[in-house]
Amino acid sequence: MPPWQDFEPFIVSGLALGGVYALSGVGLVVLYRATGVLYLAFGAVGALGALITWSLVTRAGAPGWVGWLACVAVAAAVTLGYGLLFGPALARRDPLVKAVATIGLTLILYGVMDLLWTTSGGQARSLTLPTDNGGFTVASIQVTWTQVIALGAGVVLTAGTGTFLRFTKLGTAMRAMANDRDITATLGVPVRKVEAAAWVGCGALAGIAGLLLADLVALDATTLTFLVISSLAAVLIARLRSITVTFVAAIVIGLLHDLLTPITSLSNYRDMTPFVIAAIALLVLSRHQVMTQSREEA
Amino acid sequence: MRRHIPAVSARRTIVLAAAAAITLAAAACSSSSSSSSTPSGSTSSTPAGAASSASSTPAAGTVGTSQCGTKPGVAATGTPIPLGAIATNQPGTSFTDIPNMANAYFACVNANGGINGHPIKLYIETEQTNPAQIAADAKQLVQTDHVVGIVGNTSIIECSVNSSYWQKLGFYVIDSGIAPECYSTSNSAAVNMGPRYSSDGAVQYALSQHVSKIVFDQSNVPGTGYIAAGPAALAKAANTPIVQLTENVPISDANSVAIKEVNDAGPNGAVILNFTPPEALIILQAAQKLGLEDRVKLWGCSTPCNTDFLAQSLGPKWNSKLFVNAELTPPDGTSTPSMNLYKAILKQYGSSVQGGIGSFSQMGFTEAEIMVHALESVTGAYTVQSVNAAIKAVKDFNTGMLCQLWTYGSYPLHIPNNADYTVTANNGKMTTVQGCTPISAADPQIAQYRSVAGTAPNAPTSS
Repeated sequence: MPPWQDFEPFIVSGLALGGVYALSGVGLVVLYRATGVLYLAFGAVGALGALITWSLVTRAGAPGWVGWLACVAVAAAVTLGYGLLFGPALARRDPLVKAVATIGLTLILYGVMDLLWTTSGGQARSLTLPTDNGGFTVASIQVTWTQVIALGAGVVLTAGTGTFLRFTKLGTAMRAMANDRDITATLGVPVRKVEAAAWVGCGALAGIAGLLLADLVALDATTLTFLVISSLAAVLIARLRSITVTFVAAIVIGLLHDLLTPITSLSNYRDMTPFVIAAIALLVLSRHQVMTQSREEA
Repeated sequence: MRRHIPAVSARRTIVLAAAAAITLAAAACSSSSSSSSTPSGSTSSTPAGAASSASSTPAAGTVGTSQCGTKPGVAATGTPIPLGAIATNQPGTSFTDIPNMANAYFACVNANGGINGHPIKLYIETEQTNPAQIAADAKQLVQTDHVVGIVGNTSIIECSVNSSYWQKLGFYVIDSGIAPECYSTSNSAAVNMGPRYSSDGAVQYALSQHVSKIVFDQSNVPGTGYIAAGPAALAKAANTPIVQLTENVPISDANSVAIKEVNDAGPNGAVILNFTPPEALIILQAAQKLGLEDRVKLWGCSTPCNTDFLAQSLGPKWNSKLFVNAELTPPDGTSTPSMNLYKAILKQYGSSVQGGIGSFSQMGFTEAEIMVHALESVTGAYTVQSVNAAIKAVKDFNTGMLCQLWTYGSYPLHIPNNADYTVTANNGKMTTVQGCTPISAADPQIAQYRSVAGTAPNAPTSS
């Protein structure tokens, strides 16, 4: 076992990684709570926005803020377009069908990105934000403001969306609609508009996450598209309900993942961390649920 | 309203989420494994679409494409000579630039007399790292297209899958290699070094700078043991400790990867990477953001990092800190007849070569010129036997793109390109810091090849 000092830098990097997982994970739960759809295209939509930003800023010479706005706008537009096109048709279908449909969108976007931003010939792209240039040092590791912002965004997102869903009229309508679309409609809620708002919000969130993740992780369609897999573990632990649990789970997963890195015998298996933790958590939670039900029946 | 989602639906969705995770993970694994290997020769110059501007340099303009053939301006109208190529083309990994550039060369030859009046017809099959598909592609080329030679193959696993098939039929393949069988069999000869010998070159440069330790990190894909054996042998011969690491790709936690590499190497050590350009860039940028770039003596990389994309993305902080193996003559600033012909062909016939000027298209050009050289020596009919006998007979051919003259020959293994350049990042460009240097024979495979084939003469610098 390496000495404690060897682990210190990995606490910092683990928190940053946890923040990355949290950004995607929280976004997934928000949309699920609002629409009942597990939006697996979250990563692909963010990747598309980030690649468009890269093209605008690096190739077309547009100012950075134009690129950032474009990223969020494109992600919101694609998500809204999907929601408007397929949302009504899939509204009464099983959640499984709804989620599988978003895998279709994921693969389409992935193909489009591969076509437009080819890696043939060894192209490598990167997107840097001005916040990369400043920061502070912890455990001999430099922490950039972008990492701080990503972690902060997770916290703000968790608190903000929780408050929004609980205390605002639109948020309440979204929750009601996710619970039962027909009953909500009979109560006079304009379900189409509420759904559209949820899709736009989620898309914008995917765009913001895509922008941050392109800087923090990589501007690469494959990496960003499939980053959602690790975030799903945090979502599973939260059982698709609690935004707070998703956030905490993501941070814990990120920390454990990176703390395994200096342990040579486990280092190559650290990518299993999200799923091992999710499996253990689900087993424990199921057992607890069974025991609680048994007590209630007794 | 505490429970927003019906419990049954929520449970089913959780199950689905787990299933989706597995499905997506499988897809990601497929992509990542494919994106983790390259023919160890990535672009060294321009982005996609930049070919026209890059190739409109004065140097390129001084050479006409009429030099491709023996009858300038006379289109070949004879019976076509069918050739075949198999290349990986899937999301995240496309090697089609290599056969496409070979095809551009052949188009140029066809427009200028062809081979004794015969045009060359190149059939290009693409594959998605599926062994059954790759085997079927080979059969398609042989049984349906009736090809008489194979040139331009660039695939992650094609050599492994089809090597014995080509051997059985008497084909001597000219390719850009990735898999071990591209270098270790009697009937495949590559124009590039491949990941192992390119990594050797990067490690060799680091050792020449007297580093105290080597950390060699590469993607965790099949074949890593074969690649790692080269750097391990070189480090052992230099009595320098080496730490071998592998990373799952795509890399989602580059920070921890960079920290571990730097911690393992120490202040006087070297970190050598063997990844595709995007993955290498992720690690190097993470190191930069964490302030780790100066915490080791030097960073090195196998040939895929030899791309101006990477140098531009890294910026000036990496000037003279990152040293990259380059196995083909750097096209920038080189104005030899071969290089100018390559640029002229790319400009006139290379519209399908997406990466423009760079190592991939250089490899396609080199393979095609070797094939044309072989075909020109055929007397009589162009059959599998006659064409492959001519390919096998190629000896000390000056490609104008490699450090050494290129030989096929009757050898049990083929590593005809075994001398490299070293380039470094310099204000957004890769510039040469070390000229042609033979890869050390401390690698037992290199030693074995030289023992049977000898050391090839250096190529004339003016060609």
